[in-house]
Amino acid sequence: MKTLLQAIDIHKYFGKQHVLKGINLDVYEGETLVIIGPSGSGKSTLLRCLNLLIKPDRGRIIFDGVDITSGGVDINKVRQEIGFVFQSYNLFAHLTAIENVVLGLVKVKKMSREEARRVAAEALLSVGITEDLWSKYPAQLSGGQQQRVAIARAIAMNPRLLLLDEPTSALDPELTVEVLNVLEKLSEKRMTMIIVTHQLGFAMRAADEVVFMEDGKIVEKGPPEKILLNPEKERTREFVSRLMELYRMERMRRQ
Amino acid sequence: MSEVVNIFASYAPELLNALILTLEVTFLSFAIGLAGGVAIAISRASTPKPIKILITAFVELVRGTPMVVQLFFIYYALPSIGIKLDPFTASVFAMGLNSAVYQSEYWRTAIGSIPKTQWEAAYSLGLSTFGVLANVVLPQALRIAIPLLSNELIYLLKFSSIAYFVALPELVYTGKWIASKTFAYIEIYTIIAIFYIVITMILSEILVRLEKKLSIPGITIKRI
Repeated sequence: MKTLLQAIDIHKYFGKQHVLKGINLDVYEGETLVIIGPSGSGKSTLLRCLNLLIKPDRGRIIFDGVDITSGGVDINKVRQEIGFVFQSYNLFAHLTAIENVVLGLVKVKKMSREEARRVAAEALLSVGITEDLWSKYPAQLSGGQQQRVAIARAIAMNPRLLLLDEPTSALDPELTVEVLNVLEKLSEKRMTMIIVTHQLGFAMRAADEVVFMEDGKIVEKGPPEKILLNPEKERTREFVSRLMELYRMERMRRQ
Repeated sequence: MSEVVNIFASYAPELLNALILTLEVTFLSFAIGLAGGVAIAISRASTPKPIKILITAFVELVRGTPMVVQLFFIYYALPSIGIKLDPFTASVFAMGLNSAVYQSEYWRTAIGSIPKTQWEAAYSLGLSTFGVLANVVLPQALRIAIPLLSNELIYLLKFSSIAYFVALPELVYTGKWIASKTFAYIEIYTIIAIFYIVITMILSEILVRLEKKLSIPGITIKRI
């Protein structure tokens, strides 16, 4: 398997606070990697470091064989290859659903408007956003619809890697399912993804590897069956069993 | 009342020319102010410190002095360093500069109110800083700034009367000139006042319609 992204000894400080304390991570082409961990453990910061929305203070990030943390790399070029999906969707508020997808295709990929609309339409349909919603503004869409448009915006750019920062944690359970189904399909199609999520069912089904992070460090990583069902470290076991408890309560409430 | 109509009838061409001049000064200075205001707002946010200090000093200088003084400076003092401007250009330039400074504050507020997450989402697509500003941040900021910009335009309409001081035959100057010939002070200034009020009302209406036309659910602040 080919390594697509390699993070080597990533450190990040916010003022005096040491948020990332030497993260090492390998992501293989076509794999779905799930990151779990308590809030404040640095998961979001790590994702933002990987496409340099946040500049790491130390360490290197090798993407497709190129050290993107060294100067002289055009970061805008690199970001075209790395899609990002946010917890709060972050659709462009002044653009309709389809224009949200078209923007990057026209302005960054330099497609003609007609071609861009065709690609955008295809991406929107693939996440289940039907034509009647295309001309709606973000404020007129439900959370689940907004997040699926955001995923369409990212995948329409045909990225090599997709980063998703808690894509379902702002959604109701029913809407969560909508979005998770889309992500499972992407995972089956071998889109390389790093997903921060606490959806254990999804992780079990879709993840090739699960990483447990705490306090700016990776505590343990491995296949989902190992990390979620039979972890080595006591801390992982504690965290996962608490998540399992929540997961069971959620299911009971829904039944 | 009939005297007002008489004066208006006999000086209609002069008054109409004066009105056109007033509108030209107003709109041109607004356009300069718009371009300058956006430029100042953006450079105050992103350029290196020395330039930022320079711009801030300029803003404080313009805000801290009366517009008439700025106009006199441009009209009477600049020729001493070889820049000689006619009354029209000097007025447009002085008011445009002044408006740029005020508009920069409106734009700074509007740009600052766009969530950081909109920047992040745009950067993540691979847009440059300029691309993010042009395609994502400024279109949203414009919609927030429109009510403030409307006020600015109406202020400029009335401020354009300072061009009187450099003998530009706009409305007030022309009114004074007619008054000195006819001694009908009350009548002519009534006419001038009506001109300003009517233009203000028309502009307000156009701007409200523009605001409605550009309004987008979730961004535009609703009028109460």
